[in-house]
Amino acid sequence: MSERDLNSVPRAATSSDASPAWTEAVTGWLIHHAALSAPASLSERLQEEWLADLAARPSVMSRLRFALGCCWATRVIAHEHRASSVPVASSAMGQKLMIANLHNDSRFFARRSTTFLLVVCLHIALFYALMTGLEFKIFKVIPSTFETRVLQEQRPPELPLPLPRPQLTATKIEAPIPEFPPTGDFNETEDIIHSQPPGTSSPVATQTPPSTPLHEVSRVQGGPGIGFPNPDDYYPSSAKRREEQGSATVRVCVGANGRLTADPTTVQTSGSARLDEGALQLAKAGSGHYRATTEDGRPVNSCYSFRVRFELRN
Amino acid sequence: MRMSLQTLRVLEVFLENPTEQLSGAEVHQRCGLASGTLYPILLRFESAGWFVSRWESIDPSTAGRPRRRLYRLTSTGLKRASEVFASFNRGVVT
Repeated sequence: MSERDLNSVPRAATSSDASPAWTEAVTGWLIHHAALSAPASLSERLQEEWLADLAARPSVMSRLRFALGCCWATRVIAHEHRASSVPVASSAMGQKLMIANLHNDSRFFARRSTTFLLVVCLHIALFYALMTGLEFKIFKVIPSTFETRVLQEQRPPELPLPLPRPQLTATKIEAPIPEFPPTGDFNETEDIIHSQPPGTSSPVATQTPPSTPLHEVSRVQGGPGIGFPNPDDYYPSSAKRREEQGSATVRVCVGANGRLTADPTTVQTSGSARLDEGALQLAKAGSGHYRATTEDGRPVNSCYSFRVRFELRN
Repeated sequence: MRMSLQTLRVLEVFLENPTEQLSGAEVHQRCGLASGTLYPILLRFESAGWFVSRWESIDPSTAGRPRRRLYRLTSTGLKRASEVFASFNRGVVT
C-alpha cells in the first residue's frame, strides 16, 4: 500500500469513534514513518499490515504503544534484513535464511564475547594498578650510552704536623687567705682561764669548797671555715678601676651553727668606703660557712673580728 | 533460529490450532507481546519457512476495515515447532 493508498483508507475504518483526531494523526504518522524506514521490499506491506492491526486496538493508549512498537520493530527488521541478502518473501529459501540467522547469532555472540573480554581486561588492569599502588612506570628511562670514566683516587688531605707536647710545669696558685688575726682589742681572742692565783683569797674563793679541782676551759676561736667565699669575688669593680687596695677589719657574731647572729660591722676601715663595703658583703655572704668558736670542743656563740685584704694582682 | 521465550510464546499460539490463520493483532491478543517484538518474530519465522502469510481476502469498503495480513504454520514449521517443544518436554534445550 502506498502513501496515497494510506490516505485513501476511510477514517471510520481505521479508528474507533471515540479516539480523537490527533491520536489518529500521530499514530498514522508514526507507522508511516516506521514503514518508510523498513527495507523497501517490506515497506508497503508493513505499513498496510500495521494500519490494519492498529484499527483493531481498542484504546488510544494501546494504539500509541502499538505505533511506537512498530518504530522499534522496523529497526529490528531492518537490522536482520541487512544481515541476510536473501529475499524475505521467498519461503523456498527458508533453510538458507536459518543459516544466515545462525551466522548472525554467532556474530552477535562474538561481539558480546569481545565486549565481555574487554570489560574483564579493564577490571584486571584496574585491580593490578590498585595492588601495585600505581608506583611502576610504564616506560623506563634507559640511558643512551654507557660511559666509562676512570675515577681518580681521592687522597686523604695532608694532616698538619703534630703539635709539640706541651711542657707541663707545676704552678702554684696562691689563693688569698683571709686573715682573721686576733687583735688585742678583743677579749674574745684570749683564752679564758678560770684559775685562781695561788696565795690570793677572795670571797668567792672562800665559798668554793677546797676539794673542787681547778678546771681550765679550752676555748678555740672561730673564723671563716670551709666554703667561705673568695674575697676576690667581692672586690668592688669600682675599687679595682681606681686601683684601691687595703685591708678592712670586720666584726661578726656567729652562732654555734656557723651562721651570723647579727649584721657584721667594720671595726677598722681600710681607708676606702668601697673596700669596706666589699668586706661587709663578703662577711654577710659567708654566713653558714663560719667556724664556730668552741669551748671544750663544744661550739658556742661568739663574736670575733677578722681582717679582709683586697689586693690587685697582675 | 534463536528460541527466546517470546518466540516460544508465538509458536505456542500457532500450535494450539496449526491450521488456523492469525493476524498480528490476534496473536497480540493471545500472547500479549508488544508490536516491537511480535512483528520481527513473525517475519523471522516467515523468512525461515516456518510461517507463510497472505492478505486477507476481503473488500475493505464492504467490511469497513482494512485487510489484514494472516499467518499460518507451514508443514515444515509445524514439524520444527513440534520438535522444539518436544525437546523442552524432555528437558533438553537445543
